Parts: sequence; structure tokens; C-alpha cells
Amino acid sequence: MIIEIGHFSTIVALVLSVFGMASAALALKTRNPDWARSGRMAITLIFVLLGVGMLSLVYAFIIRDFSVLYVANNSNSKLPFFYTVAAVWGGHEGSLLLWVFILSVFSTLAVWLHWRTQPTIMPYLIAVESAIIFGFLCLIVFLSSPFERLLPVPLDGKDLNPLLQDPAMVLHPPMLYMGYVGFSIPFSFAMAALFSGRLGEEWIKVTQRWSMFAWMCLTTGILLGGYWAYYELGWGGYWGWDPVENASFMPWLVGTAYLHSVLVQEKRKMFKVWNLFLIIVTFSLSLIGTFLVRSGVLTSVHSFATDPERGLYILIFVGTVIGIAFGALILRSNKLKSQVEMDSLISRESIFLFNNLFFLVAAATVFLGTLYPLILETLQDAKVTVGPPYYNAVFMPIALGLLFLMGIGPYIPWRKASVASLKKSFSTPLLAGAVIVALLFVTGIHNLYALAGGYVVTFAGMAIVLDFGKISQLYAQRNGSNIFQGGLAAFTANQRRYASMITHIGVLVLVVGIIASTVYQTEKVVSMRVGDEFAIGDYRMKLTKIHEVAGGNWNAQEGVFQVFKGEDVITELRPQKRIYSATQTPTTESAIYATNMGHVFLTMPEVSEDGVAVARGVLNPLVLWVWGGGIIMSLGVILNILRPRKKEE
Amino acid sequence: MSKGWQLTLILCLLGLFALFYQGLWGDPRHIPTVLIETEAPNFEGPDVETGQTISLDQFKGKVVLLNFWASWCYECKVEHESILQLHQLFKDNPEFVMLGVNYQDELPDAQKYLKEYGSTFSHVRDLKGQLAIDYGVYGVPETFVIDQQGKIRHKWVGPITGEVYTNITQKVIAPLLKAQPTTTVTS
Repeated sequence: MIIEIGHFSTIVALVLSVFGMASAALALKTRNPDWARSGRMAITLIFVLLGVGMLSLVYAFIIRDFSVLYVANNSNSKLPFFYTVAAVWGGHEGSLLLWVFILSVFSTLAVWLHWRTQPTIMPYLIAVESAIIFGFLCLIVFLSSPFERLLPVPLDGKDLNPLLQDPAMVLHPPMLYMGYVGFSIPFSFAMAALFSGRLGEEWIKVTQRWSMFAWMCLTTGILLGGYWAYYELGWGGYWGWDPVENASFMPWLVGTAYLHSVLVQEKRKMFKVWNLFLIIVTFSLSLIGTFLVRSGVLTSVHSFATDPERGLYILIFVGTVIGIAFGALILRSNKLKSQVEMDSLISRESIFLFNNLFFLVAAATVFLGTLYPLILETLQDAKVTVGPPYYNAVFMPIALGLLFLMGIGPYIPWRKASVASLKKSFSTPLLAGAVIVALLFVTGIHNLYALAGGYVVTFAGMAIVLDFGKISQLYAQRNGSNIFQGGLAAFTANQRRYASMITHIGVLVLVVGIIASTVYQTEKVVSMRVGDEFAIGDYRMKLTKIHEVAGGNWNAQEGVFQVFKGEDVITELRPQKRIYSATQTPTTESAIYATNMGHVFLTMPEVSEDGVAVARGVLNPLVLWVWGGGIIMSLGVILNILRPRKKEE
Repeated sequence: MSKGWQLTLILCLLGLFALFYQGLWGDPRHIPTVLIETEAPNFEGPDVETGQTISLDQFKGKVVLLNFWASWCYECKVEHESILQLHQLFKDNPEFVMLGVNYQDELPDAQKYLKEYGSTFSHVRDLKGQLAIDYGVYGVPETFVIDQQGKIRHKWVGPITGEVYTNITQKVIAPLLKAQPTTTVTS
């Protein structure tokens, strides 16, 4: 019964989304604010109704109601309670419902938050948000409903995909979707600006916090996904340039370009078409990402449903949204000439321009690599996999260039910088970079990426530290306080700037983590029997026994390894090869020992009948910096969003 | 501003959606004709370790096992031990040859890999990726068995371990080595 209430609510929400579009159109036509108010009510009710839909599905999972097809396919009587809730978004239908539910939450928030300050924009916002909600709800109601019943009722469910039975999977999809969907708000405001012809800086200022929030969620979502891949897939890496990973990375790259280039429009009224273009591309890539993941067009470890009919619907819908958005941009483009020309190539705006070009080229690189197998298959009926060597060769230099720009951008003046001022600002960081490279070289680090990375990270980091140190000192002198109080005063007085610098520091930490754990990763795969041992780096792993263990819904062979450093046993690692009972799917559970911000990572992917185990040890130095950097980046964004509003905002 | 960028944008979008539309009707897990029972495409390429040219033609009349691998491929490391074991098993038979094909890889990485994990047979480099396309390889590891007449008799996607190992050694390679040229082997 409960599930029917959810089903019915979702259908009503679909009807209301049509009403939302209609009332927005009437509000624009009649200029009667009552219509806009009806639209607001429609959006709000959609949120409530989809909330009911979500809750009914959660309820069905909690009581393990296997008469619901979706529950039967994604749950099981033995599935731990914790995962029964996450199983709501463990499959295609439920994750679409989550997508549109988050969209309704954000739409409702946006409508109520900006109602007073942006009355003329509201009908457009309501129209765009209702239209996107409409598109997704049609898909859910007509083609992929999670509310279908199953008759006869099976005795037990098929179980949630074992790979998804993991704490990170509880948070990863909602976070990622909040990122994707969050960009719909600046996108809607941009559309409103295009349709209404109010093409000034206002839409950018209004949506600044939304964009940062969406970006933070996307960043966190991607990093959580990486963390999941890291210990759940068992190959010891957090990023494999898999098509589905790339699908989330592309909007991130363009979204990052957008966050930077809006600053130029805000300060210098330049890049107007460009910013509209970027936000449209960002949101389009979010939609295309959803299409790629949900249609099964690309081969991937995530290989979800392959269903041409659904895929075709998503394609038509995504194509319509993108077509209308770019169409509007093209039609309006003659009205969008910048009033200002660039003064000099040595200026902050030109650094931002390069930043944008680099980000877009990076996104294009990933895009090409992701779609190349599809292109080749269409043209030649041949199958290829584009492997990490392509991305490493093409993407890494671009990333290093971006890091270098990151060290320059915030410290070069707008309009025109003199060579003397450049020398003053950057000679120390440039020199510091050289010193670090020399030190790294002497200590035996000769890898080109590590040295280049060391240089740009030091350069960018030094630039941040010098600038903040100088400002802090200034504040300390003025207030007659010590340097720490001065730093705090400087931070609160320029919270927007320095919160961004915290995010930049996070990026630097992340990059150090990536370089160290990629370039200096040590790996060893060995076949061994009980009693054998192998050495990796400073550690020795001794297999002391292999025994059977059982969890609620799985059985496993567990290898017990003693880890030695020198002669001392420092820890015991217990990697498992699990078989999940319901689906008979094997998974490789890794065992990790954290030390000095790095990991000793061990898996046991094979155990043969005669007791020979394949063990795989990986040393990932500084790998925790990857996620530590992510946390610092998010912290910077949160401080940025929470900064006190200034008068001009 | 000229109209150029608008036109480019429209054309790019149309192309992209045409591609996506086309892609919808393909099954990503479908592997194009496995080439079973057809002539194994000939190839020529440098040896990973020595640089000398190796071609398939030079092994005509022998049973050839082709194993596609890459140093960045995790599954390849899992199968490596058993691949070496497989070579050990048949290497004394003059009718058997084993060749590794190094796929989408950097030469130094590949060499380092072989040094580290050991190598008892030759590996040819797939310089332009053409070899992989000829054999319809869509990921590594992938293994082919070619008979004395130069026909592909068996293909396996994924690591050669456990049961797969038993199957390929006992049911594919051993009968081929023993068999009269006309006997067919199911794969």
C-alpha cells in the first residue's frame, strides 16, 4: 500500500511539473505575480511529493518488501540494515528518483531564497527547473519506475550488487548528484538571463554560492568514489580513467573553469558569452554524464543497464535541454559583446583566460579519450580501450600548467602588471621551487613528473604563504597585535579571497598525494603458500594461515598476513576473497595498514584449490594526502560560502 | 565576432548526438566476431626486450599462443605466474610457441615489468595498436590459440588462472599438439 502512495505521489509530481511550466509561462505573459506564486507552490509541492516517493521506497527497503520489483532486485533478507537504505540508490530506477528528488530540493530552496531579491527572474527559474524535473519524472514514471510490483512475490531478493555494499557507496551517489544537480541552479539563472535579456552581472552574483556549493559536492563525490574504488575494487588505485569516472570529472573541470572566469566578469565585465557558455557546458556535461552512465553506451566497470529505449529517451531529453540552451546563447550572442577589451597580456584577466583555456583543453582531452572507443566502434566496428598512458601523457602537462597559473593568478594585478611588480612578487617563489627541485634531486628523486610537480607545488604554495604572511604582518602592525591575530584579522577582512586560498592549498596537498602515490607506488604480486613470505619496500609479509570466515550475507577465504618491519611484527593484515551468497559474486576485500600518511595495501585476489594464494601488496606513499587535500578544499569552499555578505552583494 | 563559432558549435553538437544515437544500438559487452576458425591476421613488430623483429609468419606450422598484456593491467599480473607455468608445461614441445603482445604501453614500463615478474618467452610490441584492432582485443589480458594451419582456435578474455588454465592447457592446447591437422576443437 505504502509503495502505491509513493507511486501516486510521483505521478502527481509529474502533473505538477507541467503546471509549474504553464504557470511560469502565464506569469511571464500576463505579468500577474499570482501565477508566479502558483509556480512556486507547484515546485514546493513537487519537493514534498517526491519526498513522499523517496520515503515510501526507503520504507519498502526497510521492511524488505520483495513484492516491489526494485526492492527484490536490489535487496535481500540478509542484507545488513545499513545498506538497505543505501540500496534505494543502488540501482538505475532508484538513483534516477534520487537525482530528481535532489533537484526538487534545490529548486524549492532557490525559489524561496531568491523570491524577494529576484522577482523578475523567478518565472524563468520556475520554468527551467520544472522542465528539467518534468523530463526526469517522465523517464521515471513511464520507463523506469522503482514502484513496480512483482508477482508472484519471490521468497527472497536478488541482493544489492556486492561492490556497492560499502560505506562510501552510501554517500558517494548523493554527493555526486548534489554536485550535478547543484549546477542546475546557476544554469537556470543563466537561462533566465538569456531569455529575459538581463545579461548583466547579476545572475553571476546571485548564483555564486550555489556554484561553489555544487562544485564542493562534486569534488567530494568524485573523491569518495575514488576512495571506494581504492579499497573495494582492490587494484590499489583511486583513479582509473574509467568512462564513468571521466563522466563526473568533465563537469568538474569545466565547472572549475566557470568558477574562475565569473570573477573576471564580476570585476572587469568581460567574458560574458564565455561564462554563459561555460555554465551551459558544465550542466550539459552533468546531463551527458547521466546519459553515458545510464544508457550503457560505454563499457565500464560501472556497466549498468543496457536498454536502448531508455537510452534513447534520455538522449532526446538531454539533447532538447542542451539544444535549447545553446540555441538561446547563439541567438543572444550579438547582444553580449564585452564593453571592455583586455589591456595587457600580463594581467590577472589574461591569467584567468589561460586558466580557462587549460581547463577546457583538459576537459576536451578527457572527453575525447572517453568517447574515442565509441567513435572508433561506429566508424570501424573495432573495440578499443583507451588506457591510462593516453591520459597520463596528455593530461599531466596540462595539470602542471594549471598549477603554475594557480601560483600566479591570485597575485598579479588586474588590468596591467609591470615587470618590476612581477619580479617582486614571484622571484622568491620561483627560487624556492628551484631549491626544492635541487633538494629532491639530491635525495634521489629523478622522476620528471615528481620534479616538475615539486616545482609547481612549491611555487604556488610559496606564493600563497608569502602573500598571506605580508598581509598578516600589515594587519598586525596596524592593530598592534601579534602575527597570528593579524592573520586572523586579515582572513576575516578578506574572507572570500583567503577562503579560496585554503581551497588552493587543498589542491596542492591533493597533488602531492597524487604524485607521491602514483610515481612512488611499489607493487608486488606473488603466488605463495602458508608459511611463505615476500618483501615489499621496508616490509615483509608472511602468510600465516588461510581460513574460512562468514559474514551475514557472504562467505570468504581470509588470508592472515603478519607484517614485519625489520624483525618486529607491526601489524596483521587480513585480506579476503569473498563470495556473496545470493548472487555468488566474488569480491576482493583489501586490508590496509596506514603509516606516515601512506598505506600498506594488501589483497588476495586468488586462492587455488591446492592452497596457493595470489597476494598483491602495494605501498602507496602519502596516499592519504589525496583525501586530506579534498577535505581542505571543501573546508575552503565552506568558509567561502559562509562569509558575511557585503553590501554590494 | 564572426559567426564561425556558432556554426562550429551547432555542428559539434549535431555530430555528438549522432554519435550517441549510434552508440545506443551497440551492446558494449558484445565483442566483434571472435575470428574463431578464421585465418589469424599476420603481424610484425619489435621484440620488447631485444628489439628484433618478430612476425607470426615465422611460426607457421606450429601451435601459437598469443597473450595480450600491458604493464598497467592489474589482471595481467594476476595471471602472470600461471602464464609462465603454462609455458613451462609446453616449452619442450617443438610444435608449440608462446608469444606475448604488449598492448598500449610504454617501452620502459613493459621492460621493467618483464624484468620484475620474469619472462621465459618473446614479447612483441604492438606499436600502433593495429595488432590489437586486427584481433578485436578490447581489453587486456586476452589470449588466443592459433593452430598449425594458422587459424584461430580459441580466445579467452581475462586472466588465465584456475579453471581457465586447466581448460586451455588440457582441452585446447594439448589436443591441438597431439591432433591430426583436421581435428576440430570446440572453444
